[in-house]
Amino acid sequence: MNAPERAGLLAPPVLKGLLAVIVFVVLPGTLLTIGGGYLFQIATTALIFVILAASLNLVTGTTGLLSLGHAGFYGIGAYTAALLSTQLGLPFLVTLPLAGLSAGIIGVLVALPTMRLVSIYFAVATLGIGEMIYVTLLNWTDFTHGPMGIRGIPSIELFGWRASSSLDEYLVVATTAVISLWALSRLTHSYYGNALRAVREDDQCANAMGLNVVRLKIEAFGISCFFAGIAGALLAHTGKFISPDQFRFSESINILAMVVVGGLGSLPGTVIGVLLLIILPEALRGAGDFRMIAVGSIMFLSILLLPKGLLGEASALDLLRRQFGEAWKSVPGSNVGWR
Amino acid sequence: MLDIYFVQQIINGLSIGLVYALMAIGFTLIFGVLNVVNFAHGEVYTVGAFVGLLLITWVAPPLLVVVLAALAVGAVTGVGLERIAFKPFRRFRDEASLRSRAMREATLLSSLAASIVAREVMTLVFGAHMQTIPQAYLLQRPIAIGPLSITNGDVVIFGASLAMLAALQFMLFRTRIGLSIRAVSNSPMGARFVGIDTDRAIIATFAIGSMLGAAAGILVGLYDGTITPQMGFAPGIKAFVAMVMGGLSSIPGAVICALILGVAESVTTDFLASGWKDLVAYAFLIVTLVFFPQGIFGVGRERA
Repeated sequence: MNAPERAGLLAPPVLKGLLAVIVFVVLPGTLLTIGGGYLFQIATTALIFVILAASLNLVTGTTGLLSLGHAGFYGIGAYTAALLSTQLGLPFLVTLPLAGLSAGIIGVLVALPTMRLVSIYFAVATLGIGEMIYVTLLNWTDFTHGPMGIRGIPSIELFGWRASSSLDEYLVVATTAVISLWALSRLTHSYYGNALRAVREDDQCANAMGLNVVRLKIEAFGISCFFAGIAGALLAHTGKFISPDQFRFSESINILAMVVVGGLGSLPGTVIGVLLLIILPEALRGAGDFRMIAVGSIMFLSILLLPKGLLGEASALDLLRRQFGEAWKSVPGSNVGWR
Repeated sequence: MLDIYFVQQIINGLSIGLVYALMAIGFTLIFGVLNVVNFAHGEVYTVGAFVGLLLITWVAPPLLVVVLAALAVGAVTGVGLERIAFKPFRRFRDEASLRSRAMREATLLSSLAASIVAREVMTLVFGAHMQTIPQAYLLQRPIAIGPLSITNGDVVIFGASLAMLAALQFMLFRTRIGLSIRAVSNSPMGARFVGIDTDRAIIATFAIGSMLGAAAGILVGLYDGTITPQMGFAPGIKAFVAMVMGGLSSIPGAVICALILGVAESVTTDFLASGWKDLVAYAFLIVTLVFFPQGIFGVGRERA
């Protein structure tokens, strides 16, 4: 692992400053001169997905748990924010953290029993949980309005200042995204992040070294769900309308594809994956019909040709080769196949 | 006490359960041989249904021909799927690589990607709206048995599923290719030592599993009367649940659990709005995973 080099990609303060200038000045400036509210919507969506993909990356990339139900927690966040603001009239500054907290708490509750499952069984359990959340959002009509969705969600309001234009909304979402990315990046580059990586590489070994593996997994899952909930709240307040169809299994796959293409375990890679999978289909005009085909093909080709993703630190095939190496060296018949 | 309506629901549940069983067998066979989950199995089911529909609208052959065509196309789809989404990741042939966790996750993602592409291509070609089956082929004619009223679709699904299950048992236990499939699922390394072509056995497994899936697709299409490109997703997940409940590599277990699941779903609609019935399958899944990690009929499982 040459993690320090990759951390170096973001480490120089100059580069960070440059990125901040691009996100907060250059990009909005360009979009303003081209003059498109629609372009701002795409940029806002891309930033929301940056938060989502980065949060999934914490679970799937850094901790090595394949989660197929991330859109469900995104949905919990969105519905919490939407219901709190339309029913109780709470302001954005309250609904945003509450949305994250509710998604995080439900994530921990879900993780408590399922976290003892490994690899594919965990993936399937998360798939089941994601679909359970979707079915509940769809059918609990008294509470969630079912397939009609929730309309007229108030726009973002901070201390009396109302984000009235798409530029304002973009700036608020960009600030939240940058803060979330910073938090996730600090988390994954700390000792705690190293513990999570140890769990990914070999959970039994990590356990033998004294790490509480189940607890680490549950915490990582809860934190990831918290950020997914934040992304959901941003979606609710910028889109003004949410319906259960936005939080289906296909959306979970979409987010997973972004992380896989960008490279499991790498935050810059994840951001690039999001940009690729959001902007590329938009750039190919009339792409509405081909969007998911493009997502599927890009994901397939990247698993086949770029098993590490664009900038990944963990690779499925890398693990595979290492296991072959062991298999060749060891005596045939010894239980190499059991992992 | 024996409420007629309740018995009716159980019969409906059994025919839904048999369809899940046909799909669950495909999952179980492939899992037994490769230790991987084929997420594109639901799309094979959809392909079977659409091939049947095309054949019905163009040629209008007898029902048996439609089912046989679906079986043939299912086999071809299965082989193609194996070639595209599974073969490229099987670069080494020792036991560890055939069963390794990394290979499992890579093929999980690749079959997932293949299923997305297949589903979206079908949506593009046929449109996302529901396709209706011509009236003459619908299996919805009621048959009255005493106070019960079942449709001829129930009878056809019962008959066809039992015939296919019997054929599968014959194939697995009485033919050479069945023997090689069982050998590979027992131990890929040992199978290679005694000169079995493991690749051929794997391809045969995909062909057989996908045949059953495609047949289930066209039978359900004719039974329900509508076909959509998304139709494969829910039965695919439920068949998967049945496989996990049945203990992953036990075919009888998968069949019994599929029947339990079908009946449970159909009885749930008595108590709750029908939209909630999907929740039952997912709840079964989570409960099984948490409380019976070896499946209800499983005989021990290696740590995955």
